[in-house]
Amino acid sequence: MTSLQDRLLAAHARDDRAALVGLYTEAADMAANIDAACFYLTHAYIFALEKGDPASDALYQRLKAEGRV
Amino acid sequence: MAKDIPLQTLDAVQQPIETANGLPNAHYIDPDVFNVEKQAVLCANWAGLAVAADVPESGDAKPIEFLGMPLLLVRDRQGQVRVFQNICRHRGMILVSEPKRIEGAIRCPYHSWCYSTEGKLVSTPHVGGPGQNTHEAIDKSLLGLIEVRSHIWFETVFVNIDGNAAPFEEVHADLIARWSDFDQPMYHGGADSTFILEVKTNWKLAVENYCESYHLPWVHPGLNSYSRLEDHYNIDEKGKFSGQGTLVYRQLTGDDGAVFPDFASLDDKWAEGGEYITVYPNVLLGVQRDHTFVIILEPVNHETTREHIHLFYASQQTDVTLRAKNTVQWRGIFEEDVFVVEGMQKGRYAPGFDGGRFSPAMDGPTHCFHDWVASKVADHLAAP
Repeated sequence: MTSLQDRLLAAHARDDRAALVGLYTEAADMAANIDAACFYLTHAYIFALEKGDPASDALYQRLKAEGRV
Repeated sequence: MAKDIPLQTLDAVQQPIETANGLPNAHYIDPDVFNVEKQAVLCANWAGLAVAADVPESGDAKPIEFLGMPLLLVRDRQGQVRVFQNICRHRGMILVSEPKRIEGAIRCPYHSWCYSTEGKLVSTPHVGGPGQNTHEAIDKSLLGLIEVRSHIWFETVFVNIDGNAAPFEEVHADLIARWSDFDQPMYHGGADSTFILEVKTNWKLAVENYCESYHLPWVHPGLNSYSRLEDHYNIDEKGKFSGQGTLVYRQLTGDDGAVFPDFASLDDKWAEGGEYITVYPNVLLGVQRDHTFVIILEPVNHETTREHIHLFYASQQTDVTLRAKNTVQWRGIFEEDVFVVEGMQKGRYAPGFDGGRFSPAMDGPTHCFHDWVASKVADHLAAP
């Protein structure tokens, strides 16, 4: 199975921002600590914001809960 | 240098037409004078930038470089057309590099600061460190996109770059009233109804040629068959606008005799009338019973002008063949003018040319424009 890192790089390479929302969310969910999670959540949130993806609301709330927005 | 423009040459322009000279050579061939006019004439007034149809749908964004400035034309989520400086408030990076649909937010491609289509700064990722998206020193409410003052009239986006002009409706009240019949929906003909002519001339020469009918029988002989010189009249409202009108506008017809639908409830004078007026400084407009046009003159530099031509109709649905025929007809007419405006530009390199003289009978609209430009430059030079 392709690693998350490879899938992220591939999505970046093809500039697939919709996919990046899900992949960075997945990275956040797998992160070892809250700081790393918030780093990935930030990326997921930004790409969702840019795309107008409804997932941005939930991502924002997750960041807000950690005092990161 | 700005202060080197001799005030006596501006005075000579502002004399009565019988004795006035035109603007002298430097106003056409000197980059320094171009820069003065950029400030005094183009930035200090309501200059044409684009047409609203350039961003037809909410979220549409089009970067436009105007007078060397990076601007961004956007139709926001509420449908309002706005103009912003096309730069991020963080490091001044260009935000949008090609026309696109903003699906959600405008994301800076550098550090991903995000803005709404209304210009509000909505996110500053990692600004407080990794995963920390706020910082007490960064007040998002103060760091929205810098909006350029804009106004839509005649489906045209006008901008007042320096922000100090009187309101558009006030400056152009007389013209708005004159053409109140056309204060009604008009529809851009689409991709087949727009074209660009890049011309090696100073933008003012395109205005000057457009304003007068004197040249029509010589440069546009095809018009003689139905639109003779004596069928035209001058429009010259000193300090406001100028142009020309015709009393014998003839509708274009298709092979089957079809014509474009008329605008609604027009006065009888438009049955065979048409008017062609410059909204100073750089927008050339034409109105007729069944279609209108907008020409935005983009002053690229002191000797290059891009003419952005757009045709509009009274109905959203018009015959595609007839529309194409109309575009071809207007393109032909406007291309006939190219050698004239380019020839006058070359002529401005003749040493000692005094700006020329005007026919008191025929050149009133052109002199009106010269007088307006001279007054704006003089005011600019006299300012502290």
